[in-house]
Amino acid sequence: MRTLYFLALVLGFILLQSTALNFIAINGIKPDLVLVLVILNGFLRGTREGAFLGFVSGVMQDLVSGGYFGMYALINMTAGYLGGLGEGRLYRDNRFIAAGLAWICTLGAQLVFYLLLVVVDVRVYVLTALTGIIIPVSFYNALVVLLLYGLYYRSHRQGLLSDEQY
Amino acid sequence: MSGLSLGKKIVLFGILVVVMMTGLHYSAGSIEKFTPLTSSIRDFLSPVQRGIMIVGREVSDFVATPARLIGLSKRYRQLDEKNSQLESQLLQFKEISEENIRLKKMLDFSTGMAPQLDTEAAAVIGRDHGNWFGSITINKGENQGVKSDMTVITPAGLVGRVTRVSNHTSEVLLITDPRSGVGSMVQETRSPGIVEGVTGGQGSLIMVHIPADLTPGKGNRVITAGLGSVFPKGIPIGTVREVRKEEAGLFKMAEVEPYVDFNRLEEVLVVTSFQLETP
Repeated sequence: MRTLYFLALVLGFILLQSTALNFIAINGIKPDLVLVLVILNGFLRGTREGAFLGFVSGVMQDLVSGGYFGMYALINMTAGYLGGLGEGRLYRDNRFIAAGLAWICTLGAQLVFYLLLVVVDVRVYVLTALTGIIIPVSFYNALVVLLLYGLYYRSHRQGLLSDEQY
Repeated sequence: MSGLSLGKKIVLFGILVVVMMTGLHYSAGSIEKFTPLTSSIRDFLSPVQRGIMIVGREVSDFVATPARLIGLSKRYRQLDEKNSQLESQLLQFKEISEENIRLKKMLDFSTGMAPQLDTEAAAVIGRDHGNWFGSITINKGENQGVKSDMTVITPAGLVGRVTRVSNHTSEVLLITDPRSGVGSMVQETRSPGIVEGVTGGQGSLIMVHIPADLTPGKGNRVITAGLGSVFPKGIPIGTVREVRKEEAGLFKMAEVEPYVDFNRLEEVLVVTSFQLETP
């Protein structure tokens, strides 16, 4: 049941990203809520579940966007796995640590995205990609985690995303 | 899964990545059409997207109102001054326009710069959910006569082209998308070139492959060239901001400031048919 709630949240965030989040875009850049969710899930659940739910959420994104199939699946799987590397190693009660992890994982996932763009022959200048997208999104995601981590952590411990939800 | 050895896990992971990369490779070739599943999902989600967009816009306007009120008086004065200037310019342009029509008739010459456009208005109900690509979803699709490769504009200028359609929605590839290329020319110098997007989110464009002997100047207007392109000729794209040499050195490239504010698109016009002006 917990997994279903998680995937419902992913679908909700996909819809928000394609609609309302555009109103809070800064210089055309908006936070990637699905990626944030996947990273936090990995952080609190470990690499295996992080990568798996990252993959499933990515497939959902690929289906809704109708673009390059497998792109978001690979990105989110990477992000979930990277987030999972923090599980058991980093102090999970501190939102600043979670924000730092989100920053690094977003950076890693976005770099993989850039490499996949090269695979599908989409040309974006490296400097433009770094300064225009990769670094700003990383900071924006870290900010989102800083603001919402408490809520997510509570839900993970005793809410809809806790182990009690079967 | 937990009972698998590390070696088997790595092999499984490798297989998964290879399958996804294969999917990526093949979908890259068929990016011009939706799969039936994606098409149905998009049609199903479109009313929800439309609703969220409307609510989001209202909330955004409400939150931004106090900030706008602060500069309102100053802005009013500026607009008043601008209005007077524009009225005077309009009179001049009317005169020039009438003269232009007379001269064209005399020369029996069609420039093709003022195509007759039939358009279908559509509302923007969604955007690409990532930051890399620049595409929008509009609430008109195959059932309303929208087809792939139709040009999409606003009164300000070129927006993009329809890439994929479902029954009730269409996806429009913005000219700011890095996958977009528009055959264009500089109106003043007649220099040809291709306008390409930089990244989806940023509203900037570059015009590449401009012949070095036809270097445009700052502030020159860039319009669609029309030749062999899906876009009608003469649609404004933007103004030249800066010109520099391309890396290869044979051609010049220009940064172009688009006329359309891509981050504030609410309604667009789909050009359903166009014909060049005939004498």
